[in-house]
Amino acid sequence: MKRVFSHPPKESSGKHYWRGSEELAKTPEFQQWLQREFPAGAAELETDAVSRRNFMRLMGGSMALAGIGLSGCRRPESYIVPYTKSVEWLIPGKAVLYTTSMPTRSGGLPLIATTFEGRPTKLEGNPLVPSSNGGTDTFAQAAILNLYDPDRAKTVLEEGKPSSADKLEAYLKKVQGDLQQNQGAGFALLLDYQQSPTRDRFLTAFKQRYPQAEIYFDDPLVAGQYEQAVETLFGTDVVLRPAFDQASVILSLDCDFLGIEQTVDGVKAFSARRRAHGSAKDMNRLYSVDNRFTLTGGMADHRLRCAASQIPAFALALAGKLAAATNDRVLAAMVSQVKQGAGGFDDVWLAECANDLVVHKGQSLVLLGSRYPAWVQGLVFAMNNAVSALGSTLRILHRTEFKGGSLQDLAAKAKSGAVKRLFILAGNPAYSAPVDLSWAESVQQKVPEVLRLGYYEDETTAGTKWHVPEAHFLESWGDQRAPDGTYLPVQPMILPLFGGWSQLDLLAKLLSLTAGADAVRDTFKSVAGSGDFEEAWTAFLRQGCVKDSAFRVASASFNTDRIPTLLQGAVLPGPVNPSAIEIVFPADYKVDDGRYTNNAWLQELPDPITKLTWDNAVQISKATAKALQVAEGDLVEISVGERRLIAAILVAPGQADFSLSLSLGYGRSAVGKVGHGTGFNAYLLRSSDGPYFATGATIKKVQPGGYKLIRTQLHHSMEGRALIREGTAQEYESNPAFAKKVWMDKDIEPNISLYSHPPLNAPNQWGMVVDLNTCIGCSACVVACQAENNIPIVGKDQVEHGREMHWIRIDRYFSSADGDINNPHLEEDPEMVVEPVMCQHCENAPCETVCPVNATVHSEDGLNVMAYNRCIGTRYCSNNCPFKVRRFNFFNYNDRPVLDKIENGLPGFQGKQQLYLGPFGQWGMEEISKLQKNPNVTVRSRGVMEKCTYCVQRIETAKISQRIKAGVKGDLTIPTDSIKSACQQACPAEAIVFGDIKDPESQVAKLRNLPQNYHLLEYLNIQTRTSYLARLRNPNLKMPGAAKIGHINTIHEPVEERIGPATRVEPEGGNA
Amino acid sequence: MAETHAPATVPFEERMPRPPMVLNNRSMSWITNLIAGIPEQKTPLWWYITIAITGSFAGFGVLCILYLLFTGVGVWGNNIPVGWAWDITNFVFWIGIGHAGTLISAILYLCRQKWRTSINRAAEAMTLFAVICAAIYPGIHVGRVWMVWFMAPVPNPNWIWPNFRSPLLWDVFAVSTYFTVSVLFWFLGLVPDLATMRDRARSKVGKFCYGLLALGWRGGNRQWRHYEMAYLILAGLSTPLVLSVHSTVSFDFATSLIPGWHTTIFPPYFVAGAIFGGFAMVLTLMLPARSIYKLHDVFTWNHIDVMCKIILLTGSIVGYAYTMELFVAFYGANPFERFAFINRYFGPYWWAAWSMFTCNVVIPQLFWIRAFRRNLITVFFVCMCVNAGMWYERFVIIAVSLTRDFLPSSWGMYYPTWVDVMTFVGTFGIFTTFFLIFIRFFPMIAMSEVKTVLPAADPHYHPPTIGGTESMKEAHV
Repeated sequence: MKRVFSHPPKESSGKHYWRGSEELAKTPEFQQWLQREFPAGAAELETDAVSRRNFMRLMGGSMALAGIGLSGCRRPESYIVPYTKSVEWLIPGKAVLYTTSMPTRSGGLPLIATTFEGRPTKLEGNPLVPSSNGGTDTFAQAAILNLYDPDRAKTVLEEGKPSSADKLEAYLKKVQGDLQQNQGAGFALLLDYQQSPTRDRFLTAFKQRYPQAEIYFDDPLVAGQYEQAVETLFGTDVVLRPAFDQASVILSLDCDFLGIEQTVDGVKAFSARRRAHGSAKDMNRLYSVDNRFTLTGGMADHRLRCAASQIPAFALALAGKLAAATNDRVLAAMVSQVKQGAGGFDDVWLAECANDLVVHKGQSLVLLGSRYPAWVQGLVFAMNNAVSALGSTLRILHRTEFKGGSLQDLAAKAKSGAVKRLFILAGNPAYSAPVDLSWAESVQQKVPEVLRLGYYEDETTAGTKWHVPEAHFLESWGDQRAPDGTYLPVQPMILPLFGGWSQLDLLAKLLSLTAGADAVRDTFKSVAGSGDFEEAWTAFLRQGCVKDSAFRVASASFNTDRIPTLLQGAVLPGPVNPSAIEIVFPADYKVDDGRYTNNAWLQELPDPITKLTWDNAVQISKATAKALQVAEGDLVEISVGERRLIAAILVAPGQADFSLSLSLGYGRSAVGKVGHGTGFNAYLLRSSDGPYFATGATIKKVQPGGYKLIRTQLHHSMEGRALIREGTAQEYESNPAFAKKVWMDKDIEPNISLYSHPPLNAPNQWGMVVDLNTCIGCSACVVACQAENNIPIVGKDQVEHGREMHWIRIDRYFSSADGDINNPHLEEDPEMVVEPVMCQHCENAPCETVCPVNATVHSEDGLNVMAYNRCIGTRYCSNNCPFKVRRFNFFNYNDRPVLDKIENGLPGFQGKQQLYLGPFGQWGMEEISKLQKNPNVTVRSRGVMEKCTYCVQRIETAKISQRIKAGVKGDLTIPTDSIKSACQQACPAEAIVFGDIKDPESQVAKLRNLPQNYHLLEYLNIQTRTSYLARLRNPNLKMPGAAKIGHINTIHEPVEERIGPATRVEPEGGNA
Repeated sequence: MAETHAPATVPFEERMPRPPMVLNNRSMSWITNLIAGIPEQKTPLWWYITIAITGSFAGFGVLCILYLLFTGVGVWGNNIPVGWAWDITNFVFWIGIGHAGTLISAILYLCRQKWRTSINRAAEAMTLFAVICAAIYPGIHVGRVWMVWFMAPVPNPNWIWPNFRSPLLWDVFAVSTYFTVSVLFWFLGLVPDLATMRDRARSKVGKFCYGLLALGWRGGNRQWRHYEMAYLILAGLSTPLVLSVHSTVSFDFATSLIPGWHTTIFPPYFVAGAIFGGFAMVLTLMLPARSIYKLHDVFTWNHIDVMCKIILLTGSIVGYAYTMELFVAFYGANPFERFAFINRYFGPYWWAAWSMFTCNVVIPQLFWIRAFRRNLITVFFVCMCVNAGMWYERFVIIAVSLTRDFLPSSWGMYYPTWVDVMTFVGTFGIFTTFFLIFIRFFPMIAMSEVKTVLPAADPHYHPPTIGGTESMKEAHV
């Protein structure tokens, strides 16, 4: 029953006070007014203790409402594990950095690993190492994803069945017993090329203890020819390293020293000589002769298309010119000893190039791809000798290294039945061995007991007695020599996630040695020198290197006596023609030799040249395609002798005629989810006698348009728009501001703004400068950004729809090499330019005005920021972005499987990604993949727009620490150049510079003030914060066509004359 | 003709006789019986068949929308760079169609164009249904549909307001205002007729429903006076809306900086285009209705003729706009702008642009010839062409401009998916289903208004006598 409270409840005794005469009068009106003013129940709720009845009523009501509105329902919180055993200095949520290094075939890559609560999330170069500037390559950036690969081998397998580590140890004990008994007879080890002193120490001990055991090394990209030439001509324990900082003129004969054959310190040194800050006088000049566009060819000032099989002939012709110019007798003798090839090279090109090398004697350098035959390598050494490069631009260093047999030696021995036990500790020979070895059938089968240490259960796993899961380099102890010899640690960041073993672990078991940190400490003793060991060890780990531990200059010199032996096998392949096509097998920019085929970041990374994702393809020149009547996307059968392969055609500008390129590493048969069904296996065409290229190939069209090749950039011409501005070094000297007022920016009227803009008054004003002159287009920044910013992959199907999520992309344009737009060979032999494009952080941002919900706004420090939680996904901002750098989550790429295809679906669904299954698809990210995510960056959901933030999380971290340092009233200005964006950090060429443009001392402000600084689409008055430094080329004016090199953007044809036919002919995927 | 019998002072009509609005001297009751008879008659079989077809299209369209909502915008073909494709194309297409109704009701009313009475009801209904179809798209095309309310200026704890600088927000206001006023206008006009329906209804349900909707209309003098004043006020309110809505929609593009969008000519050009497309759609719907329900005396050839002339006029304005865009692109000397238009007509989507130009500019020129304006087949053909052409126009402006903008590196093509297609077909299903329901249950011609244009409604009217002039006879027969 409702209780009605009257106010006051009853007459009180004692003195009586009244509010007004109405109260005294007790009129019904007054009573009513009271009732209205002080409603029933209110007095009780406010003052009285809660009555039982009211309590029940309120609780009942709340419960009912909670049920109706479900406001009381929330997901049960689970998996809360308190961080009870914390490391002393560890602050949850704050990153801890450790030094480590990544083993590569050219040596260790010094790294700094970012870890959050014990899980590594990001790898960056270690700038504390003298040869490093903190840059990395794409592989180092993507290596972190391999660590968290759900497809990696997780258990020890015995005869293909899950076994245990104990059983494996028992087996290893038995093996060790046998080894001791028979001195290692019948035992073989197969390893990869690494510069690890501890491993070398272990191997030396192994060989000492078990002298009969054999040790072999293999890497699909190391043919042994280069090493043979070096050993013949310079002796053992010698390594030759180009000194790009000394080289003014560089000739690359199919040596991709900025791409496949790069070392990060080499790129750093090369770009240091490329940079033109104020003066271009010191700029180097690069000549490139190659059969396909490489990163090196793209950077070249003069590029010559030349089939790979003709490179020896070219080298010979050049050697002739050099011998004549320098009167070098050694070279002349060599030239006369080899039968001259057909020639047919541009004589002026050869002569002027040779001249340039001679004129810059002592500062010139000739490089040759490492997989060319030994005699050509010898010829190139002699050429370098003739131009006094040896010892100056090509340094001869002393490097000791454990040597062993080759894969061919091992195969021969195994076939003879002499190998009883084979431990494959690296590589994937069943996939990558030359086909003539028929490894899987006749080598591995012949060996009774094969133990395989493998990161994946792959092609080589089949038929092995034991398969041991390999530990990632972030899970194991080790050491490395950097390419320059600096001693580096390999520190584990996390315990092996799946109980993996490292090579050292396995070797240590066979040797009864201790692996792990102790093994490295033992090696370190010989490096540390005198002084307190513990101190040195701590400093080593802290710094990530031992200073001054680089290789010393060797006493060895060029030994001309041995040349004749080298030249004995010299054969010049015949010329290429429609019936004798050559096919070249370069390593892939994305998956290397196949070791990264299951890395989704690398698979989705557009190839720096072709912009192809998720596949490789047979690159062919336009003229050859026409001659062979094939077109892009056609499936063709390539036959080289008995070997056959069906692969897809990709028409590539800049490709030499009748020379095909098919990169290695794709078409894997036993690979994880990511690599499954991608590309074509070039190894099937490769034999021991042609490790780099095969000649005499024929092509047959199998299925026209039978394969979808997906590229992220479909249009290759700049359409005469001054997007990348290019000039020559000479022009820069006379008119350094040549790039400022070009084309549409020529006469911009001063704008009067109708809006009053929010003030940009923060202490720091962020901006970025990209130096197009040093950017080689390697795409390390793209992967770095993906790792830092939790950018999902979307899969081939979505890339086809134009929905790739990369926040930074490298625009690659081809332009007329000779500036002549009517040149019929324009599409066949163009110049290449690259330009990284990310959000330009316009001060007058077109995206901001159009967003209806204020989800993208401007910050006081000049950032164009995205509020993901506010974004509803109208996509208007993307439409209005002149750079099209905004990326939209068309699906929930993070929580839906983007790689699984719909097997049996309705028409329209079949073969598509599971993304299209909507609520019927799987849900949730793999647990292990979650570990990689950067906790400081939101993982975006479906339906929101995202884009480059200038790594706002790094800015905020810096702001917080500055706030702590400065106190309440202190200066909040972040110190000069103390923040690096992820892309900047990854760039080995230091082409990306981020910082405070307001601070005159900052690097970015200085670069912005350079005369060649320009803004993209400046005429739109969008006031971009990112600007570009114009590209310079340094042509030799005596070279053929030199007058037009580097002038593409100063000659701008009226656009309508150009666009008409070009667009009409190629609506999709063509080249213009 | 009449020279021999002409009196000394020749009445105006005799010199230049006005064609009558209703043919065959029909009486008021005849009109009531004809029009009110349509909802009163037994539901014809064709209606069931048609609504089954359109209803299933509508249903499938709704399923497509649900699929989109549960899965993501990716089920459409939209991509980067083409963030808007069929979604906004269809939105603008439907909004454009929604223009004819209000134009006929409001602007022609204020201009005292009495011929509007025969078509205004159906045209207004069509407007509403078109706006409903249009409004679906902005709602569903966003990435996070469940957050669409962020567009509304609702006070919230974060104190974030919508961005009043965004044309997309102006759109929300413009379209919702337009819809509200159009609904009121349409319903107000219906009230006297609903009262007629109520009075004639035989079933209890009919009586109740029509009675409820008729709002107690008795047809008294006071009510008529109020009614007409209200109608006039709403007409006055609607008139600027006719011009503003599509102008605002065009701002979505005109205020951006994408070549092909960034054009000051858009507001008038879009309005003309909308009226153009709207009239074509009115004819597309009304010509079959006229034949089925034998409305020839009320909806006469003169009406069709006038509407064809409006189509010809607005089509020519649109053609002028197309040409002027090209001229400005040429004369403006902005290479991006020039490229956009060369690409529009000669790029990979040349077929869309040329279809647009042919359907919207070339084919309507047939209406210069009277015979084509008075032939059902040609009128219907031209209207269908205009319907298609106006869709192409929106596609060409919105999607094709986006495929190739500033940086050639980010150029891309757009291909629709089956969900795109079926959602569009679904909106046609929704539109036609609503229209079928409308003609089944509501008087599709404004009876009370048609009666006012009868000669009998004129207090000074004298029916023709036997000795009347020839011209009078001719005019009234």
